[in-house]
Amino acid sequence: MRGAILVALASLLCASAAGAQTVQIPVIVPLTGPIALEGTSQRNGAVLAIEGAMPLKVDTTILDTAGAAEGGANAFERAAGGKGVVAAVAPMFGTQVLPMIPLADEYSIPLLTTAGTAAITEKGSKFVYRFFPSDMVTKRAQAKYVLEDLGKKKVAILYNATAYGQSGFDALTTYIKQGGGEVVYSDAIDLATKDMTPTFAKLKAANPDIVLIQMHTGSMALLLRQYRQAAVDIPVVANTMLTMPSTAALLEPAELKGVCAETSAWIGKGVSPDLDKFLDDYKAKYNAIPDFFALQQYDGVNMAIAAVKAGAKTPQDVQKYLASSEYKGAAMTYKSDGKGNMAHSAVIVCFDGTSRSPALVKRYDGKPATN
Amino acid sequence: MLQLSLNTVSLGSAYALVALGLVLVLNATNAVNFAHGALVMVGSYLAFAIAAVVPAKGIVILPLVLLSAAAFGLVLALIAYFPLRTKPVVAVFIATISAGTIFENLVLLTFGPEPRSTPPILGNRMLDLGNGVAIGEQSVAVICAAFVLIGGQYLLFAHTRFGRRLRAVAQDPDMAAACGINIKVMIAFTFMLAAALAGAAGMFLSATYYTSPTDGANYMMKAYLAVTIGGWGSIPGTVIGAFLVALFEVLIPAIPALIPGLDAVLPTATLFSMTSSTIALFLTFLAVLLLRPQGLFGEAIKKRA
Repeated sequence: MRGAILVALASLLCASAAGAQTVQIPVIVPLTGPIALEGTSQRNGAVLAIEGAMPLKVDTTILDTAGAAEGGANAFERAAGGKGVVAAVAPMFGTQVLPMIPLADEYSIPLLTTAGTAAITEKGSKFVYRFFPSDMVTKRAQAKYVLEDLGKKKVAILYNATAYGQSGFDALTTYIKQGGGEVVYSDAIDLATKDMTPTFAKLKAANPDIVLIQMHTGSMALLLRQYRQAAVDIPVVANTMLTMPSTAALLEPAELKGVCAETSAWIGKGVSPDLDKFLDDYKAKYNAIPDFFALQQYDGVNMAIAAVKAGAKTPQDVQKYLASSEYKGAAMTYKSDGKGNMAHSAVIVCFDGTSRSPALVKRYDGKPATN
Repeated sequence: MLQLSLNTVSLGSAYALVALGLVLVLNATNAVNFAHGALVMVGSYLAFAIAAVVPAKGIVILPLVLLSAAAFGLVLALIAYFPLRTKPVVAVFIATISAGTIFENLVLLTFGPEPRSTPPILGNRMLDLGNGVAIGEQSVAVICAAFVLIGGQYLLFAHTRFGRRLRAVAQDPDMAAACGINIKVMIAFTFMLAAALAGAAGMFLSATYYTSPTDGANYMMKAYLAVTIGGWGSIPGTVIGAFLVALFEVLIPAIPALIPGLDAVLPTATLFSMTSSTIALFLTFLAVLLLRPQGLFGEAIKKRA
């Protein structure tokens, strides 16, 4: 009995010691500029995780990277010297993450990001952790769904003339060709383009079986609205941006009818208690519906917090935990593939035209490729 | 073809409103107002905010948008022009860039980063003309509304005493002042008129194309292109410049679909892509700058910011 009490007391002391430790996780995200929407979601998810870290005390500083490529690196330099920094949230904008990587290596501070740009985990750094499936996962799922489930072979691809659009286009083209399909039409659309009717005229002339989209939020909504107005009736499978509540909110349910999209995780009630808790907490704090950037950044920060709770005291300790541990988050289970790619699942969702909430139609659970 | 042409004219009409506002201030102050694009964006958000309080069609809220955008124009003149009007023109140039950035960030703080849409002027239906041809109700309404606003501006300048005073200030401020015209009032009114036109354009554009706080720079670029191609200081030239910009955006990328068989003789996918069309627009812009710096319909070249 006395032994049991001693063990309990020792456990309590350990817990108190962990609880007394104060660590810092700076949140470095774009809050202004063209990707402020996504950056705000990232911040919301990260802050929610930090506030829920009790009994561990986590401090944070929110730093805006705006839209410039050097914004992330400049902010990281300011934050990295702070007391007790064990990890930093990095922008979902890959162009900003790339210049941060040498600095993360120099300071030995892990970056927790939701950037999809493939290159960020190809630089050989052990301090970049991506809590979002890369194009390798999502584009493969999108192509597989089109070729195998829908049986469509003649494909058109519309994408934004940005690094994100180009990266997705390249991956889609590769996977469509590998799967026996053919890209019969493609067009790069500038983010500033307002009228997309010329694209639809050429699209109709190419007569594809299906249209794949790889676009940013605003462009995506604009395209789909005009697509409906132009009465184009070719089925569409879009990229994950369509599933953001803020994108769907720009369209009428009828404009979304029959449109499907790939995304990283199905965000709905009843999937798991952790996801339900996240949804309730997010709604209570922000009075908004979260998107996948918020959800997966929440998971990323929670994994770093779990590392500290498990005894990590330095950023190097946290890095070792991130590199070697499996973590069950609210969206999915995360494990590094050896390069820092933590997320390996994707889903396909479709809109039925009666609401702006899509239904889950297909799940692709991958395992980390360890090559 | 009809639908594409109509879209070109509709977009060109909205761009013409934007570009005209830029020219008005340019003529009155001899300085480029780099906050003008931000005023377009502000107009969109004003329409969005007004529509949230007065849920009505665009045609009902348009007067409120014009008035409130004009108030922003006055604020702009008071903070970024009048305190600096005796300083080198580059000071106004920097001040308007700063004011535009302030407007952008104020909108971001107030409304957040999400794109927004405003009510259409009359409706968003597609009007079926038969034989598979349909035209957008909003496109037709934008053309009509822009025609009314541009026509109204023409009447004001050409047929009213107030308009003649505005023109006098634009042509020779010193002489106008010597004749007893209150220059400051005229310039302030010009800023208000320019902002009202920008606000109307913002409302028209965001009904179809959405708006977000960072859109101002894009509209500023379109207006600058239109004014440079059409001719600095020339109102008809500016309108034609705006239509040319729209032509490059809508009609030229659609050429392969309009001319069947063209892809057999030309690499149309590359030559007429949206990206190539943008390159062609800027090449045209450079050609005008090199060969006819005053623009296609412009006055003899002056020193501009």
